[in-house]
Amino acid sequence: MDKILEVKDLKVTFDTYGGSVQAVRGINFDLHKGETLAIVGESGSGKSVTTKALMGLIPKPAGKIPSGEIMFEGKDIAKMKDKDMQKIRGRDISMIFQDPMTSLNPTMKVKTQIMEGLIKHQKMSSSKAKERAIELLELVGIPDPKTRIEQYPHQFSGGMRQRVVIAIALACNPKILLADEPTTALDVTIQAQILELMKDIQKKTEASIIFITHDLGVVANVADRVAVMYAGKIVEIGTVDDIFYNPKHPYTWGLLGSMPTVDSKEDELFAIPGTPPDLMNPPKGDAFAARNPFAMKIDTEEEPPMFKVSDTHYAATWLLHEDAPEVDPPESVKRRMKDITANGSDQKGDES
Amino acid sequence: MSEEKLLEVTNLKQHFKTGRHSVVKAIDGISFDIYKGETFGLVGESGCGKSTTGRTIIRLYDATDGDVKFNGVDVHGKKSKSDLKMFNRKMQMIFQDPYASLNPRMTVKEIISEGLDIHGLVKDDKARTQRVHDLLETVGLNKEHANRYPHEFSGGQRQRIGIARALAVDPEFIIADEPISALDVSIQAQVVNLLKQLQKEKGLTYLFIAHDLSMVKYISDRIAVMYFGKIVELADSDELYKNPLHPYTKSLLSAIPLPDPDYERNRVRTSYDPADHDTSEVPEFREVRPKHWVLCTTKEFDAYKKQLAE
Repeated sequence: MDKILEVKDLKVTFDTYGGSVQAVRGINFDLHKGETLAIVGESGSGKSVTTKALMGLIPKPAGKIPSGEIMFEGKDIAKMKDKDMQKIRGRDISMIFQDPMTSLNPTMKVKTQIMEGLIKHQKMSSSKAKERAIELLELVGIPDPKTRIEQYPHQFSGGMRQRVVIAIALACNPKILLADEPTTALDVTIQAQILELMKDIQKKTEASIIFITHDLGVVANVADRVAVMYAGKIVEIGTVDDIFYNPKHPYTWGLLGSMPTVDSKEDELFAIPGTPPDLMNPPKGDAFAARNPFAMKIDTEEEPPMFKVSDTHYAATWLLHEDAPEVDPPESVKRRMKDITANGSDQKGDES
Repeated sequence: MSEEKLLEVTNLKQHFKTGRHSVVKAIDGISFDIYKGETFGLVGESGCGKSTTGRTIIRLYDATDGDVKFNGVDVHGKKSKSDLKMFNRKMQMIFQDPYASLNPRMTVKEIISEGLDIHGLVKDDKARTQRVHDLLETVGLNKEHANRYPHEFSGGQRQRIGIARALAVDPEFIIADEPISALDVSIQAQVVNLLKQLQKEKGLTYLFIAHDLSMVKYISDRIAVMYFGKIVELADSDELYKNPLHPYTKSLLSAIPLPDPDYERNRVRTSYDPADHDTSEVPEFREVRPKHWVLCTTKEFDAYKKQLAE
């Protein structure tokens, strides 16, 4: 598959009164054409900051990119001037924001907000842009687009507003769509509709999607590949099957284990103890060591490199080193993984 | 879980006036019982009235109509101050947003001990401090935290403070309004485990309001599904997941994304259209199978019975 985006050793820091916060601490990944890459992790793990860096939206001067490259079509976005970035932003790379209630301008008609990008980037006449805007609303499944386009955001429900936000993001046929928790603010039923819509659109436009979320159910639904982030680093990356059926990193075990499956009967959920580290002074060695029941001495001394599990699957944990002791995931996680695989089939039967 | 009813809600209604002629029927005649020691889950999409139900039960709103009985005593209606005080002690609430529900100007000790002082549960400051320290320990914080302010804590820790505040007055019944939705996945499990452990130790009864169905299923003994101010289905949690009858419940269940790629690839989502219902008569809440209630008309009732028999 063709690589459309390459991120190499990207670092992002923010200067605060208390010191410099290392939000992203050197991450590497590629994005292929037409795929969906999900980035998961808890709040503060650096997943949103990563997408902001890709959009050139790191607030300056507090935010800095001290090192790293973001290669898009032979150009490095990380070092690009604001003026050049404006040509890419909204045209080649566009973004769907988390909260449809605040990401639309309440004083502008929906029409104007969709047409803005078309007129700016594609130099369309306003009558042509309006036609295209109506097409877009139809594409995202808003009924009666000709009337709706003249309305203001407050006249739309949450799910409908998110569709408008998606329409704006799609306006210029972007090559990459960055979706930052696009369904977190929505109800499950609406969430399911929006996810289906995004998959549908991806099929039609062949755009690549980077999907940020902390909901592993959503990840299983949309992703081709998954990157798990913790404390500003990617700790495990692989295909969706690698991550869900053969996870290697203890943090991934913890994430999977802390979600109850619909059939789980255990008395207690497997909870990751403690809280994430302070990124002002990131701990020496493996950042996850303090919360990791399998931590070894080396975890507190040296940072683990990315170990290769298979051609598609990499994980940064010393447990994969050849000298490390054999460790099995905790019983509850293993059982759950078995549960999941076993249940997958019979639940399908229930619903048909 | 015993058969003793702790809370009886009958035909509860909560209507809000939004203009001279328009009324929002947030709760439109719901009835259910909660037994001693159980966890009763209430699910539904936003705006269906689940939070309003919790807030009306604890008297944050005055009910438009209907009865709420707690331990056999009517909760709403005119009350003397001392009765009200007693009732407030027995029923407590944990709120959704741990950032908005703690007063930023009060220390943790002040927040937790406010209830102790109102109800005169401690004699002097020494006893108060001791009680606060005990409570902090119960919820997994330590006593050094007592003199700090809420902004010094993370979301999960704040939710623990909210739980400690609710526990301070030794309640029997706790209404938890989406207590984990604002927290990270890894922290959610910690808080859910804490709630379960406290229930075991203190014999608490919970009304657990949420929209995350897999978590609700995990924590609840029985679940009620709400849709537009009405309860459409009520059953034991296993029964509800195995044999959902009402089409809305089915669509809700089919929409939960599960952390399982294989299942997700083959998922069939059923959508709910209120127009599909039999409209020949006004639907009533009927017991299709012992302890499994559905809002339906007589025709639908027969169809559901047949469906269960198969």
